[in-house]
Amino acid sequence: MGTTKPRPSGRNSIAKAPSLPSKTFVIDNGAHTMKAGYAPDSVPSDDGSQLLSTCATIPNALTKTRNNRVYIGSQLHTHVKDWNELMFRRPVEKGYIVNWEAEKEIWEHSFFDEKTARKDLRIASPEETTLVLTEAPNALPILQKNADEIVMEEWGFGGYFRTIGPSLNAWNEIQSLFGDPLVQNPDGPISPAECLLVVDSGFSHTTVTPVYKGRPLQRGIRRLDLGGKHLTNYLKEMVSMRQYNMVDETYIMNDVKEAVCFVSNNFPGEMEQAWKGNRKRSQPDPSEGVVVDYVLPDPNAGVKGFMRPHDPLLNLKKRKSTLSGSETALLSEDVLVLGNERFTVPEILFTPGDIGMKQAGIPDMILQSLSVLPTGLHPAFLANVLVVGGNALLPGFMDRLETELRQTASTECVVRVRRPQDPIRFAWLGGARFATNKEELKRVAITRQEYQENGSSWAGRKFSGAL
Amino acid sequence: MYSIELLPNSSSHATPGWTYVPDRRDRGFDPAKAAITPAVGRKRGIRDPGRADLSSRQNNAIVRHLAELDRENHKDVSIPIPVKQQKDASGRGTRGKVTSNVRRILQSQKTFRNHLDDEEAAQAQAAQTATQRPAPAQVSRLTKPSSSRRSSTPATASKPEPSSSRQKKHTTPATPSAVPTASTTASTDGDGDKPDSDPSPNPAKLITSEHDNDPLLRSYIPSAPPTASCKPSSPNHLFPTTPPAPAHP
Repeated sequence: MGTTKPRPSGRNSIAKAPSLPSKTFVIDNGAHTMKAGYAPDSVPSDDGSQLLSTCATIPNALTKTRNNRVYIGSQLHTHVKDWNELMFRRPVEKGYIVNWEAEKEIWEHSFFDEKTARKDLRIASPEETTLVLTEAPNALPILQKNADEIVMEEWGFGGYFRTIGPSLNAWNEIQSLFGDPLVQNPDGPISPAECLLVVDSGFSHTTVTPVYKGRPLQRGIRRLDLGGKHLTNYLKEMVSMRQYNMVDETYIMNDVKEAVCFVSNNFPGEMEQAWKGNRKRSQPDPSEGVVVDYVLPDPNAGVKGFMRPHDPLLNLKKRKSTLSGSETALLSEDVLVLGNERFTVPEILFTPGDIGMKQAGIPDMILQSLSVLPTGLHPAFLANVLVVGGNALLPGFMDRLETELRQTASTECVVRVRRPQDPIRFAWLGGARFATNKEELKRVAITRQEYQENGSSWAGRKFSGAL
Repeated sequence: MYSIELLPNSSSHATPGWTYVPDRRDRGFDPAKAAITPAVGRKRGIRDPGRADLSSRQNNAIVRHLAELDRENHKDVSIPIPVKQQKDASGRGTRGKVTSNVRRILQSQKTFRNHLDDEEAAQAQAAQTATQRPAPAQVSRLTKPSSSRRSSTPATASKPEPSSSRQKKHTTPATPSAVPTASTTASTDGDGDKPDSDPSPNPAKLITSEHDNDPLLRSYIPSAPPTASCKPSSPNHLFPTTPPAPAHP
């Protein structure tokens, strides 16, 4: 068979290792960052912070600086000092791994190469490791097949399980997050939450996935093609039109977005507040207003960007210091004044019509997802809405979502919207907890031997639940 | 490929006679496809109809803007994989030999759009062959479940459909007073549906948990989810499609 790879130890491992390897490595392969680490043998009793310490967040990109040097993955944080005009090549497009040439490079740099991989992340012998890999819902079969073939034939993992990322969230300890009494036997194996509506607002898109006992309800999955990337680009575009040209500064604008953006709960009111005409009429306290200044990073001085309250007299001060010839620090800094940009940008997640997109916003999307599910499940899902992904960190996001859901959902249903402590690594955490339930993992994962016998299309059918 | 253009109607004041529709598919968007993405709710469309009849020129401007927002790098750049020295490669997890599959995947420079076009072409082809000969009964045997199952879904999903639509009709007046009526209709519905519910081993059995009496979680239509909603309509489903009965130990 063409899929098997001749290896010296192959026969031995087949003979003696028909079951899954004991070590499990979990990769939540996001478009912006991948969350990876070894799953423990048993779940620690605390709230997951101990578990999270084994999870690393690695930029999933090749980065090119303006002096044409290329850095891989986590080198972005360690080696790159000049954040101007960074260019990115991302192997994950629209949430799916498309370019394996680049992805292989990043994975090898992060997990396999003994020179560059962190010691606690290194996969020394893939044959003795089970890989749990996440993907976005509704992936193309050809991309799934590519992933299976690369994982099993290039690295030869001893065990492998590919799953939809949001569904792993259900394996987390949800009850305390929602303030429910604990029902799970602390000594028994980990089991998934019964009903969970996962809203995953990530880098390239936002998905809504109803998860019933750890299984995604396929017909209820909805996607909005807006994510953090679009927010950054939209902010970049606004700023470039109104102030400085920032079109090449994706990385910096992402920092600006994370520092200043918020979701408004009173859109017309905030608009009024941010309006320049009002500012002159009644001088309100600048610390209360919506308008802030963002001081751009200065790579020459080694200064990082930061936000501060808006100073309406800044230009005046600058002029004064030019005349007096003192205080060079004030002169050299570049400041973006951000007013309604702060909340009109994240607003597109809730009303995509603002940029002309003919798709429903997140609250509508949740209701659309519920509308195809049995009515009896609606109360349970509405009472267990979990928001994960980087955009959940935007201030005001949760309140806004809960308010809008409350207004549109039927009166007799309780609406509870919660965000975990760490929404970015929550799916990974769920995956790590899931991996401690060996029985369940054994039921859904495949071994290397099974793959060699049956091939990649069988593996695809197995993961799709058809076998 | 042909494309369907929404022509501007008389009320819009675009340049009379013609509009220029640039064919810019290579830039990462397809006007024909973007025009038919699912719209927002029906009611909003009624409230502000101004949005609906954009001229095709405006539509294309929107589509181009959206494509721009989707690109991370403003300029087109090619970032090559850094070349490594031969001796560096020794510490890697991979062995010297690669299989033909791996080589093909690694050398493929296809973008997501290429893959999507391939998939759509394959689906169209599968749909054509499916109409020529009757679809086989064993859906799970098929290699392309997503495309062929789409055609066969009504056959399996039609049974729960009437009941759910009936329930929806009953519950739409979402006033607080509707709660008792909804529950009564639900119980009668449940009785009426018993004969024609799906023939799995224990169809009428409810899922029991200790939360059944929790007022938060009590559902006013106490019926188990039909198996159809647990079935995957696309291939990337997580688990086997057993009915949601308690798992065997």
